[in-house]
Amino acid sequence: MSAGLLILTAIALFVYTRTLLDEEIAEELYSQIAFIQQDIDAGNSPSSLKPIIEINEVSRALPETVKDTLMFDPRQNELELFRELSKTIQSENRWFQIKVRVLFIESEDIIFGIIFSFTSIFIIAFLILFFINRSRNEKLWHPFFNSLDKLKDFSFDAKEPMVFEASNIEEFNELNGRLNTLVLKINSDYSTLKQFTEDVSHEAQTPLAIMQAKIENIINQQHISDSLYEELTSLQKDIKRLTQLNKRLVLLAKIDNNQFSKAEKVDLATVICERIEDFQDISEHTFKKEVSPNSNVIIDSYLAEILTNNLLSNAVKYSDPKSMVFVRVSEHMLEVSNKGTTAIENPERIFERFYRESSNKKSTGLGLSIVSKICSYYDFDASYSFRESEQLHVFRITFIK
Amino acid sequence: MKILIAEDEVALQRSIQQYLERDGNVCEVASDFHEAQQKVAIYDYDIIILDINLETGSGLDVLRSLKKERKKAGVLIISANSSLKDKLEGLDLGADDYLTKPFHLAELNSRLKAVLRRGKFGGDDHIEFHEIRIDTRSRTAYVHDEAIALTRKEYDILLFFISNQGRVLSKEIIAEHLWGDNSDLLDNFDFIYVHINNLRKKMKDVGARYIKTAYGSGYKFISD
Repeated sequence: MSAGLLILTAIALFVYTRTLLDEEIAEELYSQIAFIQQDIDAGNSPSSLKPIIEINEVSRALPETVKDTLMFDPRQNELELFRELSKTIQSENRWFQIKVRVLFIESEDIIFGIIFSFTSIFIIAFLILFFINRSRNEKLWHPFFNSLDKLKDFSFDAKEPMVFEASNIEEFNELNGRLNTLVLKINSDYSTLKQFTEDVSHEAQTPLAIMQAKIENIINQQHISDSLYEELTSLQKDIKRLTQLNKRLVLLAKIDNNQFSKAEKVDLATVICERIEDFQDISEHTFKKEVSPNSNVIIDSYLAEILTNNLLSNAVKYSDPKSMVFVRVSEHMLEVSNKGTTAIENPERIFERFYRESSNKKSTGLGLSIVSKICSYYDFDASYSFRESEQLHVFRITFIK
Repeated sequence: MKILIAEDEVALQRSIQQYLERDGNVCEVASDFHEAQQKVAIYDYDIIILDINLETGSGLDVLRSLKKERKKAGVLIISANSSLKDKLEGLDLGADDYLTKPFHLAELNSRLKAVLRRGKFGGDDHIEFHEIRIDTRSRTAYVHDEAIALTRKEYDILLFFISNQGRVLSKEIIAEHLWGDNSDLLDNFDFIYVHINNLRKKMKDVGARYIKTAYGSGYKFISD
């Protein structure tokens, strides 16, 4: 549209300039002839000034012609276009044919001039507008992008609630107001949910205790059949599963609720060696340790125990009995690996709550999500990888210092 | 032994009472904070089983007034809250042990006896059962005054058996007593079989045949 307009303007300008120049040149040619006529009339004998002025005496009046002609310009050392007016004038019964020539501007030059100036104007205008717009837009949209950045950083683990500042642009102000309400609502819902999880898990412990106690009394008070005994002890196993589930949910909720603020220097090497001793009691796995002394990490000592325990128990649970479990600890990382034949299917989900790769009934599906929760609480990095060459599932915690 | 059970869940309170009375203990119950405060102030108990979350107040306050009056009763806290903070607070206030709900009654019973043994109230470091004598300080078992070499786990199992004599103990209860939460890692109970069979054999060799099988897969420690 604007390009079309620009071309039209350029054409109009070209036509207008051309006409103007033609008229101007015609005027100049005619006035030169008029000057020469005046000179001749005054009795001066006319002389030529080739190639600009050429005066020849002729016998009769020749028709007036205007034409363009190419002539050699010695200054520029090339052929140039000239406009030539040839007119016969009469003075005291003598006829003179006068040819006057003027250097003529070529159309191509005009077009080139127009295009060049238009393009320059266009580019300059574009650049100026671009920068003005950009700086204006930046200023204008600043509150919006500010809010957007904040939203990108939104996290339930944030220590301080997110606040969107008021802006002097009404729409953004309204948007920020809504966002504030939304974030408040989300946070309060989330903390209610966390509290709910903790409460429910707590409340469940007492009924579980009652069930457990009653079963023990039944077993002890009457003589029951062996099969009934099996049923009752199997109930006890289920109660134990629920209990474990509850304990872990409570633990997750507690980490969420920042109830482990007592971080101290803990030597993970000692912690994990103690845990390994415990595990050697109840599993046939062989533990291979590569432990550097003074692997100090700043962490709550209880959470350090849970972290190492869950990693070890995961390795023990999901590998063949009697296989090897590899443990590496330094002050930069903790790595627990167990043997396996194939990589797990969804490695990105392995740290999710209740995600189980196999239908292992003994698992609550929370062990690794507790690991991941503890890691995110302390800004550690928890990752899983499968080392094909060694057939190893590797769980690695990197402590960022 | 005179025991106070301060627990507001009546069903749980009854079950504990039932289990403990079979040993010939005298059990009294308190179902809320005020009843517990009153009973603690008036009577003397050997041991108090104290729930932290009593309906009308905190069990920790009962513990505080108990300590203020310098009563000698041993205190075992039972709580639905497994947090370390609560546990430490309870122990700091002078409780002797802390058990998280849910628990096995056999576990509660063995903890109670351990609290009593720790000598706060008329206990000593020795437990006797017929010809068996256990010195809990040196963790040694004697049969006919002759020390028998037991591993750590075998000793723990024997102590657990004697504390819960005459009771049926399932493998799960024993496993949990020995390994706590980690017992759910056990694929099967081979580990327990091994320990119990070794213990049984060592005891049998010196003529103490008290470990009996109950209901096919459970155990009972009893004299004929």
